[in-house]
Amino acid sequence: MRKKGRGMATIMFGFGYGEGFPDHSIAEIEITTDQKIKLRTAGADVGQGFLTTMVQIAAEVLKIDSSYIEIVGQDTHQAKNSGSTSATRQTFFSGNAVREAAEEVMGMIYHHGSIYFNSNYPELTVKDGEIYACDNKNGKISYWELAEIVKQKGDNLQAEASFFPETYAPDEKSGQSEKNYVAYTFMTQVIDIEVDIDTGIIEVMNVYTALDVGKAINPQNVHGQIEGGTVQGLGMALMEEQVMEKGITINPDMTNYLVPSIQDIPEFESTLIENEDSDGPFGAKGIGEPTLIAACPAVANAVYDAIGIRITSLPITPEIILNSLEENNN
Amino acid sequence: MKKQSKGVKDRPRISGKDFNQYKYFRPKSKKELIRIINGFQEDLTIIAGGTDLLVANYQKLYEIKNWLDLNLLDELKNIKMFDDKVEIGSMVTHQRLSKLDQIKELFPVLHQAAADVGSPQIRSRGTIGGNIVTSSPAGDLLPPLLIYDAKLKIISGEGSRVVDANEFFTGPKKNILKKGEILEKIIIPLKEDIYKGAWIKVGKRKALIISSISLALNLSMDRSNLIKKARICIGSAAPVPLRIKTAEQAILKEELTKINIEEVAQIVSEKISPIDDIRGTAKYRRQVALNITRKALSEVMNQ
Repeated sequence: MRKKGRGMATIMFGFGYGEGFPDHSIAEIEITTDQKIKLRTAGADVGQGFLTTMVQIAAEVLKIDSSYIEIVGQDTHQAKNSGSTSATRQTFFSGNAVREAAEEVMGMIYHHGSIYFNSNYPELTVKDGEIYACDNKNGKISYWELAEIVKQKGDNLQAEASFFPETYAPDEKSGQSEKNYVAYTFMTQVIDIEVDIDTGIIEVMNVYTALDVGKAINPQNVHGQIEGGTVQGLGMALMEEQVMEKGITINPDMTNYLVPSIQDIPEFESTLIENEDSDGPFGAKGIGEPTLIAACPAVANAVYDAIGIRITSLPITPEIILNSLEENNN
Repeated sequence: MKKQSKGVKDRPRISGKDFNQYKYFRPKSKKELIRIINGFQEDLTIIAGGTDLLVANYQKLYEIKNWLDLNLLDELKNIKMFDDKVEIGSMVTHQRLSKLDQIKELFPVLHQAAADVGSPQIRSRGTIGGNIVTSSPAGDLLPPLLIYDAKLKIISGEGSRVVDANEFFTGPKKNILKKGEILEKIIIPLKEDIYKGAWIKVGKRKALIISSISLALNLSMDRSNLIKKARICIGSAAPVPLRIKTAEQAILKEELTKINIEEVAQIVSEKISPIDDIRGTAKYRRQVALNITRKALSEVMNQ
C-alpha cells in the first residue's frame, strides 16, 4: 500500500565567499578588426552554462548578436583571475566584471563614434554592431570599421574591468556584520511523495519550485539548474550513503553508492521570481547551490505528512521507514 | 601529442603481443564449440554478454588468459515454440525476452523480470544464460525460471544432460556446472492450465539496481478453480533463489479466494535465510518478504 505525503521547505542562501574574503572577478572585452568580440575570462564552465551566461551579458550590453562573441581563456595563463567556479558566485561576480568591461567598451564606441561623425554624443544610435549618426541618414559605421580607425590612432576598442565588492567578517559573538554576503537567494519547494509501506520505498512524484533568481539571464539554464540541483538533493534525501565497515568504505562505486537514475526523477513545475533586486548583472542572483538545499527538509516533511513519523537522519532509507513504522505500531 | 597523465608510467604495459601465448576462441557453430572444449586443456573463461564478467574484472581484464566467446553462436540465440514446451537459447538477451509478445503471453513473470533488469544497455548485452550461470542469488531471471519449472540443457564434449533449474544452484555464484560444460538452452514446459502469476522486485531505485529482494509467484488452477500447482520463489534472500515449498504445499487444492494469506506470508518470511548487506538488512528482508507475499497473493486473487 502507498501513502501520499506533501512537504514544503524554504531556504535562504548567502552566496559568494563573503565574510570579508577578497572575492573578485576580472574580465576583458576587445572588439577586433576581423569581426570578432573577444571576451577574456578565466572562469571555468563545469557544465552549468557559465560561458553562455557571460556571452549573453556581453552581447546584451554591446547590442550585438551573441554569435560574434568569442571566449578566450578559461585559463589563468590567458586571462586574469575570475575566482573559483564555486560558492554560487560566477554569474554574479564574473557576470558583473563582464558587464562592466562591456560598458567600458560601449563608452569607447560612443566616444570614438562621436569623433568619427563629428557629432555630439546623444546624436548617435548603436544597434546590431553598427553605429548610426542620427543627423545624417547615410552616416553609418560598423564596430569593425571603427576598431580599424581606432587602431590607426594607436588605441584599441578594448577594456578590462574588475568586480571587487566588499563584505565584512561577522562578529565573533553575534555572528553578524554589516554585510556578510553580497546577496541572498531564496527558494521554496513543495514536494509530493508516495511511501510504499510494504517496502519502505519512497517515490518522489512532483516538485513545485519558486526560485528568487533576481533575473534569469538564461531561463532554460535556470530551470535546468533547479531540476539538476533538486535531483542531487533528492539523492541526498533518499539514497546517497557511505557505508563503512571497520573503517573501510564498502561501497566506493556507483553500483552500490546510489544516486537517482533518470527513472527516479519526478515531474517538475517551476516559477522564476524576477525582482531584479540584487547588485548582480541585470539584478541576477546565484542559484547553483541553493537549488539543492530544500529537497531534504521538504522530503522529510512529506514523509511526516504521509506516515506521521519524523525522520531525523539522512538518507531516509527503506529500512528506516519500515523500522519507524514498526516502532510506531508497538 | 597527448601528454601522459601522472602515474601512467607505473601501470603495467600491455600490448597485443603479450597475448600471443593465449587464445581467444569464437566458435560459429555448436560443432566447433565442442571441438574447442574437447581439444583445449587449459582453463577457459567463457564470455556471453559480458555484463557480469567485465564488471568483475574491471581494470584487470588482462589477467584473463584464454577466452571462449559465445557471441557468434547463432544456434544459441533461438527461441523455439513447441506444443508442450518453449526452448530459449542461452544467448537470448533480456531485451528480447522483455520485447517478445509470446513470452509476455506465456510467461508474464519472466517477461516482467527481464524488463526490470538494469538498463537498456545491460538488457541488450546481458543474456538469460549468463544470468543463470553467474548464479547470483539476486539474478532477476532465476525466480521466474524456478516457478515455471524450467529445465536446463547442458552440453559438453561427452554429450549432454538436462537438469531442473531448481537443482542447478548450489550457493552464491555457485552451481553444478563442471569444467567443459556449457549451458545450451532453457526448456520451459507448457501446460493447458490457467496460470496466475506475479513478479515483485524491490530495489533502492527504479532502474540500474540489484534487487534487495524479489518474489515470483505462479499458480495454476484446475477446471474447478482449485489451485493445482503453486510455485513461490524468493530471490536475494538466501544463498540461492529459493522456492518456499512449505508455502506452496499450504495452498494446494485450495480455492484461490480462500487462501490464508497471513499463513503463507509467515511461512515465506520464516523460510528464507537472508543476510545483512549493502542492499538491505536481514531484518528488512524478512519484513519485506512478509509484505510482498501478501501483496502478490492479493494481486493474483484479483486477476
